Amino acid sequence: MTDDNESAVFADATEMRGSGTAMIELEHVDKFFGKFQALSDINLKVAAQEVVVVIGPSGSGKSTVIRCINRLEEHDAGRIVVDGTELSNDIRNIQEIRRETGMVFQSFNLFPHLSVLDNITLAPRKVRKLPKRAAEELGMAMLEMVKIPEQASKYPGQLSGGQQQRVAIARSLAMKPKVMLFDEPTSALDPEMINEVLDTMKELAASGMTMIVVTHEMGFAREVANRVVFMADGQIVEVGTPEHFFENPSEDRTKLFLSQIL
Amino acid sequence: MSATAHRSGALVWARRNLFRSPVDGVLSILFGALSLWLVYKTLSFVFVTGRWDVIRVNLRLMMIGRFPDAHVLRLAITVVVLAAWGGFLAGFIRARQIRSGHASDERVPLVARLGDVAARLWLPAVVVLLLLLLSSTAGPWIIVGIAIVAAIIGRLVGPFAGRPKLGPVGSGVVVAGLGAVPVALYFYVVTAVGFDDWGGFMLNLFLAVCSIVLCFPLGILLALGRRSTLPLVRVVCTTYIELVRGAPLFVLLLLANVALGFFVPNSLAPSTSTRAIIVFTLFTAAYMAEIVRGGLQSVPRGQIEAAKAVGLSPVRQMGYIVLPQALRNVIPAQNGQLISLFKDTTLAGIAMGLFELLNVAGAITAQPDFRGQGLIGETITFAALLFWTVAFTMSRESQRLEKRLGVGVR
Repeated sequence: MTDDNESAVFADATEMRGSGTAMIELEHVDKFFGKFQALSDINLKVAAQEVVVVIGPSGSGKSTVIRCINRLEEHDAGRIVVDGTELSNDIRNIQEIRRETGMVFQSFNLFPHLSVLDNITLAPRKVRKLPKRAAEELGMAMLEMVKIPEQASKYPGQLSGGQQQRVAIARSLAMKPKVMLFDEPTSALDPEMINEVLDTMKELAASGMTMIVVTHEMGFAREVANRVVFMADGQIVEVGTPEHFFENPSEDRTKLFLSQIL
Repeated sequence: MSATAHRSGALVWARRNLFRSPVDGVLSILFGALSLWLVYKTLSFVFVTGRWDVIRVNLRLMMIGRFPDAHVLRLAITVVVLAAWGGFLAGFIRARQIRSGHASDERVPLVARLGDVAARLWLPAVVVLLLLLLSSTAGPWIIVGIAIVAAIIGRLVGPFAGRPKLGPVGSGVVVAGLGAVPVALYFYVVTAVGFDDWGGFMLNLFLAVCSIVLCFPLGILLALGRRSTLPLVRVVCTTYIELVRGAPLFVLLLLANVALGFFVPNSLAPSTSTRAIIVFTLFTAAYMAEIVRGGLQSVPRGQIEAAKAVGLSPVRQMGYIVLPQALRNVIPAQNGQLISLFKDTTLAGIAMGLFELLNVAGAITAQPDFRGQGLIGETITFAALLFWTVAFTMSRESQRLEKRLGVGVR
């Protein structure tokens, strides 16, 4: 991908944001764990088809941000809007947002008592009310997409970490979400398995999925992200294109972080 | 030459494992002698000194109590139908498992399958054979023979009911029918002979099966209630669990037997056996609730988060993700509790005067023919053998279930 291409995508995304088709909007979001303020005044808009990578030191609130979007954590102040629906305390409202939002966890969280195919088809059948046959066809299509259809009848415990994470991605995609949230998807993997998962994510990004990715994989951020968000101490310190961010960051805090990890 | 080598091999083994040091040697001789003495005593009790005629004469009393002659045929029919039902259920479940991909449909050679059945059932089979040999009439032989044939026919027919072409309605009818059979059999027997006239080992088994079936869902509900976010539900469940667990089962049985009369007029009060089932159910449910709660806590948070993230509702998160894992994790503890419940049915004999096996075992030593001859050893040993056989079979089946469900262990 050339620089031109990338800035074009970015411009495109910015334009969409401007025209009000933001897929995700966070406005003045605060979050406390007891007295500890985990997030303070988070403002972020993610356009449809945009890929946003969130980086920052551990404890900076990266995971908390995306966990607030599908209400695995409850935010204490501010607004969160997903595809035009504002997140409220109404359980039906929360369910609706969760249906449209896929999430991939650091520790996979596959259901160990279900086969790989059942892991994928459970939600489409029970939430989307697909008939069994149609759900299984969908499930197999998802497994083809992550390139492990031959593992369909195995159990998660029989798969490698990389394969498990790809099943987890397939499980989320089977719900046909509009947004995918990735919470450090490669942090629990052995080094030789990281690429197979990153490749799957790259294909997903290329297909136009809206994605927010919390990761420590700077290569992925540089190559795939439309924008990079840098967080520290519960705040967004800097937002910018990968070129801007890695070549010429404006904030001292960002420079310090980059110097520590690169 | 080779014989010497062999003998020296045994000597080497003995020296290494039994006589490594002087202390080892003394202990080996001591415990060796003790074991030999125990084996000798047991064998001589079973085959020489034991007076088993007290069992032979009273076998029917021990198995079915004072169940009237006129209606024994109903019991025989019940046994045969239950055997067919069990075989049918086994075949039906297997067909369903193959259909859903949880069992392979490879054709297992008949010899291997029979071997598997023998490995599972040899102990109960040996005990049933012993009972048949002790019985003095041909009736039991005929019943068991027909029951075996019925079970085999059921097993062969069952898979057809598990076929996909039956559709969801057909499957629903089959499942409902399978659930209705035991209930229908109960009414078939109880309309002829009132519950309080049942007795013997049959009564122990019936009390245990009913209480197990009932305490299981109640225990799960109590566990969920104790973890509920609604304060009232939580307080009620917690209070119930702590109160019931704090009371001795024996006292609860006595209370149900005696004190209930103070509150409820006799015409409305349930029969003694029904009261026993109610007490066993309520008592065991409190323990089950705590076991299940432990299981619920053993399911990692990430499982619930993943279930939420794919959009499952709270009820489905519990039903499809959390409970199956929680219950699987506590199979050993659950089964321990159920075995304990089964053996505790003997308390109903002493506390409520029910004529169950242990009560029979004591009563028959007071018969004119056997009075004052110290035969309680024989009758209690026999009762213990029956209880142990069932309890051990429960334990083995639970281990089998654990293995089966452990396919996708973390």
